[in-house]
Amino acid sequence: MDTKELRAIIEGVLAEMNLDAAQQTTSEPVGTEATKAVACEITDGCLDDITAIDIKQQYLVKEPYDREGFLELKQFAPCRLGIGKAGARYNTLPQLMFRAAHSAAQDAVFSDVDQNFVDSLGLFTIRSRCENKDIYLTRPDLGRRLNEEAVAAVKEKCEKNPQVQIFVSDGLSSAAVAANTKDVLAGLLQGLKSSGIKVGTPFFLKYGRVGAMDEISEITGADVTCVLIGERPGLITATSMSAYIAYKGTIGMPEARRTVVSNIHSAGTIPAEAGAHIAEIIKTILEKKASGTDLKL
Amino acid sequence: MREVINSVGIDIGTSTTQLIFSKLTIENLATSYTVPRISIVNTEVVYRSDIYFTPLTNALTIDSEQVKNIVKGEYAKAKMDPKNLQTGAVIITGETARKENANEVLSALSKMAGEFVVATAGPDLESVLSARGAGTDKMSEEDRNIIANIDIGGGTSNIAIFQKGNLIGTTCLDIGGRLIKVENGKISYVYEKMADLAASIGIPIKVGDVADKGNLKQLATKMAQHLSMALNLTDKDERHQNLYTNDGIPVKSDISINGLTYSGGVADIVYNPSSEDVFRYGDIGPLLGEAINENNDFRKVKRYDAVETIRATVVGAGTHTTEVSGSTIRYEADCLPLKNIPVVKMTEEDEENMEAFSGRLAEKIDIFTNRSRDECVAVAISGNNHTSFDAVQQLAMGIINGLKAYDNPEIPVLVIVESDIGKVLGNALKVLMNQKRKVLCIDNIFVKDGDYVDIGEPVANGRVVPVVTKTLIFNR
Repeated sequence: MDTKELRAIIEGVLAEMNLDAAQQTTSEPVGTEATKAVACEITDGCLDDITAIDIKQQYLVKEPYDREGFLELKQFAPCRLGIGKAGARYNTLPQLMFRAAHSAAQDAVFSDVDQNFVDSLGLFTIRSRCENKDIYLTRPDLGRRLNEEAVAAVKEKCEKNPQVQIFVSDGLSSAAVAANTKDVLAGLLQGLKSSGIKVGTPFFLKYGRVGAMDEISEITGADVTCVLIGERPGLITATSMSAYIAYKGTIGMPEARRTVVSNIHSAGTIPAEAGAHIAEIIKTILEKKASGTDLKL
Repeated sequence: MREVINSVGIDIGTSTTQLIFSKLTIENLATSYTVPRISIVNTEVVYRSDIYFTPLTNALTIDSEQVKNIVKGEYAKAKMDPKNLQTGAVIITGETARKENANEVLSALSKMAGEFVVATAGPDLESVLSARGAGTDKMSEEDRNIIANIDIGGGTSNIAIFQKGNLIGTTCLDIGGRLIKVENGKISYVYEKMADLAASIGIPIKVGDVADKGNLKQLATKMAQHLSMALNLTDKDERHQNLYTNDGIPVKSDISINGLTYSGGVADIVYNPSSEDVFRYGDIGPLLGEAINENNDFRKVKRYDAVETIRATVVGAGTHTTEVSGSTIRYEADCLPLKNIPVVKMTEEDEENMEAFSGRLAEKIDIFTNRSRDECVAVAISGNNHTSFDAVQQLAMGIINGLKAYDNPEIPVLVIVESDIGKVLGNALKVLMNQKRKVLCIDNIFVKDGDYVDIGEPVANGRVVPVVTKTLIFNR
């Protein structure tokens, strides 16, 4: 097919399109005016916060067979179901909500915990062997060890051989630390106090992985070490926290020796109550002198 | 982790006395790396007693000795030692609850039946237990609709209505198969309200009259009509209100049911009509069953087969009176079990206004309980919007200040909270009182003002406590 032929076809198509457009002349100006009117309207308002929408309450299918029934099913889990579609694609709102959730997850990983927040909790701050976020993400092994200053600081500032050593770490979600630490830590400390258990000096570990608790356990000589750490974020929540607890942890010990309490966030286990629950687990670990799979809870 | 506990149900009804033993399976449904979630996952009836006529010494008193003998005999037959029972309920129902020595018999029996077996009574509770025993709650949940159960016994008809598995109404009417008794072809007993009802339709009946099948069938038809009125299936007439037990309140007029189950002794005749002698039981039960079966109003809605009929109440009592608390709670085992603790429930408004909370609590305890200050009172709160650590401390302080007058150190501070903050609130109470009082703080239990609770010894590795809520004031 040469260029001439091609052009002829294109011209033919264009002509047909013009013809169609010409037939619709009656309705066209109305539509244009309407578009203009909307485009020119300027208000002082804000766009709705799409992250405030509860996806368990969201149902966007047009003309459903049983809206109520579907909504009842949605109460069981926060899934992106029953959100309608445009052809084969998502509608605009669910698409934007998905993007927003994804962004929140990325932010939770890549941003740092606000230092003022850490200070306000009365925690001193140390760092793992990672220099920055990029190294933290690419070298998990370095995130499990303390740098020299950190080792010195723990030796200097922390009470020796406490019954329980607690620390907080950013892990993979700084947002989780910001959202839950205050309540979890307070609930945990009060729970331990009510059972007469002595707690060492708590602190914050930046760029920390779960395994860092083993070195901290060795340095402090604590019977039980507990880290409150941000969980890898998902698309449902970016603020979920876990507690990992080990009895007399040592560097290189099997992972199976850790006891874990996960899913701590406002829509999961209530943070303050989770703190109280962790205190109870620590009490049991102290009594049974075992943790992880060695311990039947 | 699975744990099986033994439960007993004993029902002393207008016509029959029955007993069942059941096994309740308790299991943690959460994974091992999250906070536990322990629930009753299965209930199984493992022993059913014979069905006895409730022994009476005369029209006004229950034959206490005979009832005890029945229970003793059945325990022996089932080889069940009361010591092995962790929970259960004795319920006295229908007309038997009106007998002079009902309370006495009830408490004597609950002592004999096992240490943790509670005594209960009350038409609303009976309605709920019989419907759960009949499986009505499950059917409405399964079919996503509104189903009522009528438990038609000898003395009363107990109605409970469930919508998608949730209780939405209960009521009780003085309509039953044994409110008129027949001996040797003659009427030997007529309950006052039935005599009135009969007179109102022009067939006066009294003790000693010849039992006329036609007349009594007319009366039974009228009784069936009143049941359909109670279920909003037909318009209420002016006599209807008079038939509610203890001047009870009808179910809300906007409730419109789409299914029905029948339980109680009369239900067997509704489901399986027979052509035998209508007076074969010495009462008008079979006539009432026939009348219900022939009533067109009941045919407007779907009829479901009840899982249990004559045994629905006793199965309900044996399997559905016990709940388990939330799985993260605070308690001190040496103050358990606790029995007959009155509940003072704070309103949502009280909880929102924390400054006035203590004062309101102290006031309420004075109004709602007439107990001495040396007895335990349960403070019930929702805990909604009080889940942050600081808010929990505030709640704890509010409760402590409200209980100032109840400062006997021997008496535990008992708090029942709906939201999942039982453990942190319990810890706060303990620490804020400088560990001076025993603290029992359980969550995930919904109670109301005027309820009484029994709290059993911990089960499931000490994680949860069994709780029985003993009265239900549903119609408000």
